[in-house]
Amino acid sequence: MSTASATDTADVAQVVEEPEGGRLRGLARLQVLQIVLLLFVTVAVFSILRPDTFLTLFNFRGILQNTSILAVLGVGMTFVIITGGIDLSIGSVLVFSGVVADKVMAAQGGQGWGTVLLGAGVAVLSGLAWGLLNGFLVAKGKVAPLIVTLGSLSAALGFAQIITGGLDLRDAPRKLVDKIGFGNVAGQVPTLAVIAALVVVGGMILLHRTRFGLYTYAVGSNAEAGRRVGVNVDRHLIKVYALAGLLAGFGGILNLAFFQSTTIGGQSNTALNVIAGVAIGGTSLFGGVGTVFGTVMGLFIPIVLQNGFIQINVQPFWQQVVVGAVLVAVVYIDQARRTAAVRGGSRPRLPFLSRSGSRTRKETE
Amino acid sequence: MNRRTALVVGTAVAVLATTAACSSGSSSSGSGSSGGGSKTYNLAFIPGVAGDAFYITMQCGIQAEAQKEGATVKVQAPQKFDPTLQTPILQSVISSKPDAILIAPTDVSAMQAPIAQAKQQGIKVVLVDTTLSDPSVAESAIASDNSGGGKAAFDAIKQLAPNGGKVLGIGVQPGISTTDARDKGFGDAAKADSKFQYLGVQYSQNDPAKAAQQVSAALQKDPDIVGVFASNLFSAEGAATGIRQAGKQNQVKVVGFDAGPDQIKALQDGTVQALIAQQPATIGTDGVQQAIKALKGQPTTKSIKTGFTIITKDNLTSSEGQAAAYKASC
Amino acid sequence: MTTPILEARGISKVYGHVEALSGTNFDLYPGEVTALIGDNGAGKSTLVRILSGAEQATAGEILFEGKPVHLHSPTDASRLGMETVFQDLALAPHLSPVQNMYLGREVMARGLLGHLGFMDKKRMREGSRSAFDRLGATVRNLGGPVGAMSGGQRQGIAVARAAAWAEKVVFLDEPTAALGVVQTKNVIELIRRVSAEGIGVVFISHSMPHVMEVADRIQVMWRGRRVVTYRKEDTSMEQLVAAMTGALERVAS
Repeated sequence: MSTASATDTADVAQVVEEPEGGRLRGLARLQVLQIVLLLFVTVAVFSILRPDTFLTLFNFRGILQNTSILAVLGVGMTFVIITGGIDLSIGSVLVFSGVVADKVMAAQGGQGWGTVLLGAGVAVLSGLAWGLLNGFLVAKGKVAPLIVTLGSLSAALGFAQIITGGLDLRDAPRKLVDKIGFGNVAGQVPTLAVIAALVVVGGMILLHRTRFGLYTYAVGSNAEAGRRVGVNVDRHLIKVYALAGLLAGFGGILNLAFFQSTTIGGQSNTALNVIAGVAIGGTSLFGGVGTVFGTVMGLFIPIVLQNGFIQINVQPFWQQVVVGAVLVAVVYIDQARRTAAVRGGSRPRLPFLSRSGSRTRKETE
Repeated sequence: MNRRTALVVGTAVAVLATTAACSSGSSSSGSGSSGGGSKTYNLAFIPGVAGDAFYITMQCGIQAEAQKEGATVKVQAPQKFDPTLQTPILQSVISSKPDAILIAPTDVSAMQAPIAQAKQQGIKVVLVDTTLSDPSVAESAIASDNSGGGKAAFDAIKQLAPNGGKVLGIGVQPGISTTDARDKGFGDAAKADSKFQYLGVQYSQNDPAKAAQQVSAALQKDPDIVGVFASNLFSAEGAATGIRQAGKQNQVKVVGFDAGPDQIKALQDGTVQALIAQQPATIGTDGVQQAIKALKGQPTTKSIKTGFTIITKDNLTSSEGQAAAYKASC
Repeated sequence: MTTPILEARGISKVYGHVEALSGTNFDLYPGEVTALIGDNGAGKSTLVRILSGAEQATAGEILFEGKPVHLHSPTDASRLGMETVFQDLALAPHLSPVQNMYLGREVMARGLLGHLGFMDKKRMREGSRSAFDRLGATVRNLGGPVGAMSGGQRQGIAVARAAAWAEKVVFLDEPTAALGVVQTKNVIELIRRVSAEGIGVVFISHSMPHVMEVADRIQVMWRGRRVVTYRKEDTSMEQLVAAMTGALERVAS
C-alpha cells in the first residue's frame, strides 16, 4: 500500500497545464510555412540583387523546368520516407526506364504520339518492376531499405549500362521532345511543369484524402499498431516502394523528353538531391510526418539558389556549400523543435537502418 | 515559434548576402558596369566540367583575349561532364543575359535545345571544344582537329621509331566522336606510310587493367610492335604496364593524348614517351574573337580547327613545351 | 448459471525451454470486470496475448460463448468482438485520435470515390466524438497527433477505441500503470462504463487498490497457472498478495 502519491500530485499539475493539443500537426504546418517563407525570401533577395535578369518570365520558366522531374520523383520519395524508409535507387531506376523505353521506341520507330505513349508505358512499367522488387525485399525479406535500395541503385544502373554498352541512347521521338520536353501549355507554361503539377496534386490527394495515405503515415508512425488493427503492413510497404519506382519510371520518360538522351552518367546524385528536398520540406526521416507540398517547396530551394548564385556569379563550389548548409540548418531546427514537442523525448535510431517495423514491440513479462 | 523562423530566414539572408559580397569581390576581369565610349561586352563561358586543366587553360585564353577586347567574362561550370548538370547552369546563364556565351556542350543532342534557347534570347553562341549534332545555332564552332591529332600522334611515333614497324591503337570506347576521329586519323596516317603496319584499334573501356591485357596479348602475337597510341590517360597507363610485363620498354613507344598535370607526370616518369597536346588556350582566344565579331555584326568563321603540339621529354622544359602543357590555374 | 463469454481450458505456452503458461484456466462473464493479477512472470500478459489472438497457445482450448475457437491473429479476435489495449497502447503517435480510432476500420466515402480509396473524414470524426463522449474520455483535440497528448488522454483514447469496437470483450493490460490520480480515476470510470454496456472486461494490474476498486472477480496467477479466483466481496488485499506470492501452493504441497 505504498503507491507513490507524491508523483501523482505532480501528474495532476501536468494535467492542468495541458496544452491545446495538436502541437505536432501545427508544427508540420509551421514547418511548411517556414519553407515557403524561406523560398520567398530567397526569391526576393535575388530579385533585388538582379531585378532585370532574375525576375523574368524566361528565368522562372527555366526554374520550373529544372524542378519538374525532381518533383515527380519527390512525390514517391515523400511516401517512402513517411513510412520510415528510404529509396536511393530512383536515379538509377529513372535511367534504366529511360533506356528500356528508348530501346522500345527505337524498335517501334516513328516520331508520333503512338510511339511516345508506348515509350511512356514501358518506362512506367520498368520503374514499377524495380519498385516492386525494392518493396518486396524490404517488406518480406526484412532487409533494411537503405541496403535494398543501395543494391538496386547499383544494379539498375548496371543493367542500363549492359543494355547500352555504356553509351547514351538518343532515340526520343520528335513529338516527345517538342511537345513534352520543350512544349508549352497555354502559351508560356512548360508542359513538363504542368505534368509535374498534376503528379504533385495527385500525390497530395493520395496522401491526405485516401486510406492509402493514412496507412502510409500509420506504417511510419507505428507499424506494430497498424498490424494489430489489421493493416497489412507488408503489402502496404510494397505498394509504397512500387509507387516510388513507378514515378521514377515516369521520370525516365520525362528525362528522355527533356535531355533527348538517357543521361546514364548524370543521375548519380538524383536520389540524394530528392531526399534533400524531402527533408528540407519538413518530412521526417524518422517516419510518420511529411507532406508532398513541403517536398516540392524543398526541391525549389536548391534550384533557386543555384540559379540565383549563377546570376550573381558565385563560383560553383560555393553553391554546393550553401545548399548543404541550408539543408542541415533547416532540418536541425525542425528536429530540435519536434523533439521538444513530442513527449518522452528520446528518439529511436533511424528506421531505414533497421528492419521494417521492428521497433515498437515491447515484450514485457 | 517566430523566433526560430526568424532565425532561419535571417541566416538565409545573411548567407545570401555574404556569398553575394564574396562573388562581386572575386569576380573576373574588369568591373564591367563602367560603360565608357565603346560598348563593353559581357561574355559567359560554360566549360564541360569544373576543375579540369584543359578547360582552365581554355578559360585563361578566353580571359586574356577578353581583357584585350575590353570585355568581361563570367565562368560557370558543372561539377561533372554531364548535360543534366550543364542544362540548369546554361539556363541560369541565359537568364542573366550576357551578350555572348562560349560553351563546351556536354552532349551533342541533349544540349541542342537549351543552346537554341540562348539564340532565341538574342545571345550569340560560340561552341568551344565539343559540338552539337546541329552546330548551325552557333556563330562559330572551334575545336581541335581530332583526326589531325591522330596524325600528330603517328608523327610522334615516327620521330621516336624512325625505322618503322607495327603500330597499335588503344581507344577508350567506340561511339565517342572525338576519340573516334583521333583513332581514325592515327590509322589513316599509319596506313599511308609504307614503313609502318597498322594493327587496328582496341578499346580499353577506360580500364587500365584491360588496356594492359590488350597490349600484352598484342605483343604475344606481334612481338615487333614499335608504337602504341593511347587516346586517353588510363589507356596509356595500361599500355605502359602491358609493355613492362613483356619487358619491351625500350622497344615500344607509347604516345598519349592531352597534356594535363597527370599526363605531364606520366611523360616525366617515362610511362609515355610523347604527348599530343591540344591548344585549349587558342580555342579560347579564337572563341572570344569570333564572339566579338558576331556581336559587332562582322562575318564569322563557322568552323575553326586548331592544331596540336607534340611534347616529348626533350622539349618538355623548353618554352614551347611549357606553353603547350595545360595549366591548373592562370 | 450463464455460460462464460470467454473461457480458457488448460492453456500452455512454451518459448524454447521456458514454460510461460502451464495448463492454466480462465473465465469471463458478460458485463463483468475481472482482474487478472500475479507477480512479474506469472503469465498474465502471455495469457492475454493468447486470448486476444496475438500469440497461439502450445496446448489447450479457448471457448467463445461456449464454442471452441481458434484465434490466429488479433483480427480473428476482433471479428468475434474482442479488443485489446496493450501496455504500449499501440497507438500511432503521429496520427490523430480520429485516425487512430478508425485505423484499419476506415469509413469510406460513398460511391465511386470510396472505391477509389477516399475516406469519409466527416463521419469518422463524428463517430469518434460520440464514442469519446459516451465513454467519458477526455480528448481535447480530435485533429492533433496523439503523440503530443498526455499519458491519460492517450490511455483514454486507447481504451475508448477498444470499447467502441468491442462488442463482447475488452482486454486491458496495465491501463493505469503510468497514470496520475486524476487520470487513473478517469480510466477506472471508463472501465465501469464499458462493463455497464454488457461487455466483459479483463483487467491486468499490479495495483491492488485499483483492482479492489473496479473488479467484480479477481483471478490470481502464479508460475504460469491460475491458482485461485475470488469474488471481490470475499477477499482482502492481504489474501491477494499471499496468493500472488505462492502461499496457497506452498500450503497445498
